[in-house]
Amino acid sequence: MKLDVRNLVHVFGRQEVLHGVSFSVMEGEFLSILGPSGCGKTTILRILVGLLAPSSGCVCKDGVDITASPPSRRNMGIVFQNYALFQNMTVLGNVEYALKFHPELKTRSRAVAEDIIDQVGLLEHIHKKPHKLSGGQQQRVAIARTLAMKPDIILFDEPMSALDAATRISLREEIKRIQGKFHSTMLYITHDQEEAFALSDRIMVMDHGSIQQLDTPENIIGSPANRFVEEFVIANLRLKINSLVKYLKAAE
Amino acid sequence: MGGLGSSQSLRSLRDKNTRVCGAVVKLSLTAFLLVTVIFPLITLLANMGLADFRTVFALPKFREALFNSAIAAATASAISLVVAYIFALCTVRSLMPYREVLSVVITVPMLLPSISQGMGLILLLGANGILTRLFGLEHSIYGFGGVVAGSVLYAFPVAFLMFADILKYEDGSPYEAASVLGIPRFSQFFAITFPYLRRPLISVVFATFTLIFTDYGIPLMIGGRFITLPVLMYQEVIGLLNFSRGSVIGSFLLVPAVVAFIFDIANQDKGSQSFVVKAREKPKNTLRDAASFAYCAVSCAAIALPVVAFSVLAFVTAYPIDTSFSLHNIEKTLRMGADRYLVNSLIIALAVASLGCVLSYVIAYCTSRTPGKSSRALHLISITSLAIPGLVLGLSYVLFFKGTLVYGTLAMLILVNAVHFLASPYLMAYNSLGKLNANLEDVGRTLGIPRFYIIKDVLVPQTQRTILEMFSYFFVNSMMTISAVSFLSTVHSKPVSLMMSEFEVQMHIEGSAFVSLLILACNFAVKCLIYGLKRRLKIAERGED
Repeated sequence: MKLDVRNLVHVFGRQEVLHGVSFSVMEGEFLSILGPSGCGKTTILRILVGLLAPSSGCVCKDGVDITASPPSRRNMGIVFQNYALFQNMTVLGNVEYALKFHPELKTRSRAVAEDIIDQVGLLEHIHKKPHKLSGGQQQRVAIARTLAMKPDIILFDEPMSALDAATRISLREEIKRIQGKFHSTMLYITHDQEEAFALSDRIMVMDHGSIQQLDTPENIIGSPANRFVEEFVIANLRLKINSLVKYLKAAE
Repeated sequence: MGGLGSSQSLRSLRDKNTRVCGAVVKLSLTAFLLVTVIFPLITLLANMGLADFRTVFALPKFREALFNSAIAAATASAISLVVAYIFALCTVRSLMPYREVLSVVITVPMLLPSISQGMGLILLLGANGILTRLFGLEHSIYGFGGVVAGSVLYAFPVAFLMFADILKYEDGSPYEAASVLGIPRFSQFFAITFPYLRRPLISVVFATFTLIFTDYGIPLMIGGRFITLPVLMYQEVIGLLNFSRGSVIGSFLLVPAVVAFIFDIANQDKGSQSFVVKAREKPKNTLRDAASFAYCAVSCAAIALPVVAFSVLAFVTAYPIDTSFSLHNIEKTLRMGADRYLVNSLIIALAVASLGCVLSYVIAYCTSRTPGKSSRALHLISITSLAIPGLVLGLSYVLFFKGTLVYGTLAMLILVNAVHFLASPYLMAYNSLGKLNANLEDVGRTLGIPRFYIIKDVLVPQTQRTILEMFSYFFVNSMMTISAVSFLSTVHSKPVSLMMSEFEVQMHIEGSAFVSLLILACNFAVKCLIYGLKRRLKIAERGED
């Protein structure tokens, strides 16, 4: 078991936003956390990566309790919403900059950065700044920046929320390709049902701070655990599909 | 990352240190602002007893000054606002030639002390004024008319900048919809423009009124027997050393600014923030453009005339008796120490600009990028300085800092200016920093980059142009201010701008003209320099691959 989360509770002010969430993630697995905004998914992600301390509960990685470890000690990478690239630095700068703060990587930071940039296919853009790149290329820079630290888990915080539909579809292929290449464990936060189903080995559906269902895409479709899953996930997917099917049928 | 125990524990320590460090920084900033803004103000308010209040209020000259101030400020604001709104419309909504040049020329008065505007008007329309003699005018400029005219010249560029900003970011799509629906243009103004502009418009009205209401440069120069509140306060404090009466009058000067301040705060979060969805279409219209150009050109001429007048006067032997070219007045002014005081001014302006930038940037970083109650409190104290007129701040410093080591030194003047002009640059930094991706510090935390380096290598480079703008704002305002510094300067620490209020007493108007020119030259040079640097940065950002 790669990651084991036990009884996470989190309270903001007087409001409890997570009510004892427990789940685990397997090595090399792609798990999506799917839910409407305000369901607590981003809170979970921030706790996992160490940006937020939970009110109670624990996070174990490879059997070690890391609940109190600072973010930089957890060996997890995160790709943020809208990527949060360093706009004033080149692609190389973005990937190399953090390496300089780690004694064990400092001396070969340039070589490590160039290697990763090559592996994500951005070598020809290495001296460009982010605003000169396409949305997809920017995502690759963000992923390369995290991969350079050799994390064993990568988390995505709704990375594509600002992009258009067509780009999103091509970018999720890219994420799958990178996962295949680096064999990383990935956690993907999204409110988009289609995205979750296209990417994941398992999906964790959340609402109001609790897990509604955690299962494979097939099982969620086959036997939804409750009304919420049925409405938020399945009904929405069906609407999307139906709106297209009638055109496809007409075309046939 | 993995495997190196010692460096890991070092890093976890660093994480904790960062948090402690952040709390300490916020606490010291709050303490600093309490000492430099809130405590002096409280001292001022505590300094006036109820008895003083009654005595002052019973004085006929006080009532008269209050009435004069209110009526002059109201009249001048109304005129400034109308003139400025039309000017802004012309530059933003028309396609007239030289739009950009005209909108820069119109802001030249913002590089000069208000007292210079008053002086320029006297030169043009005073008893022996150039225009008075040319056209044989008989009506005197001194008094109400002069104060209003000078205040308009002084305040309308400021109002223009605010209007232009509002109009520039107005969404054009409702107008398109209205046109498609066949709503006439006249109704569109009341149906769309007015509701949209109402809140920012009220802010501009307050700001303009406060600016005029609290200024003493123009009424001092041109008011004659028409005494306004700031002039009365100045006379009480400087002439009669009556601090408690000065405090009472000062508290009256605070009123409109405080009202404006509360209005702004109350409306801040209700969000009339309209994002430009679509810029407004500008159809071709030669008549409109010609009319706009004529209007703006005339306004610019009106703004430029006083400046031209004192530029000429500085090099004339003795106006109006002998109008031959001479450097006599300049020599005389230099003999009176203009060069030494100019050095003082430059030291003050540079120090205020450097310290002010660091201070406002650090505060803005804390308030815009670290959430929490302490940030909100810090934000509120920082923009409080917007509500304090310079004269009031100056007097409160006299009362609060008298007897301390800094009192009477250049450092005192640097401090008072840095605080007086803090709010605007602070808001510039606050807005720019707030626009950058909110997760940059979290990126740093997960990748093990210390916060300081994120600020130094990521945030500062991305806000360079804002920082330059902040520097310029601090510098220009410190060079030209005569308000907060007037009660605090000594023979040794006096800035050059204050020579003008002395020359007014000594009737050495040529000296004032020369000093105005000096200030204008310095400010213009700095503005050009900043403009050049900003352009270079822009080109560098664009050109790079």
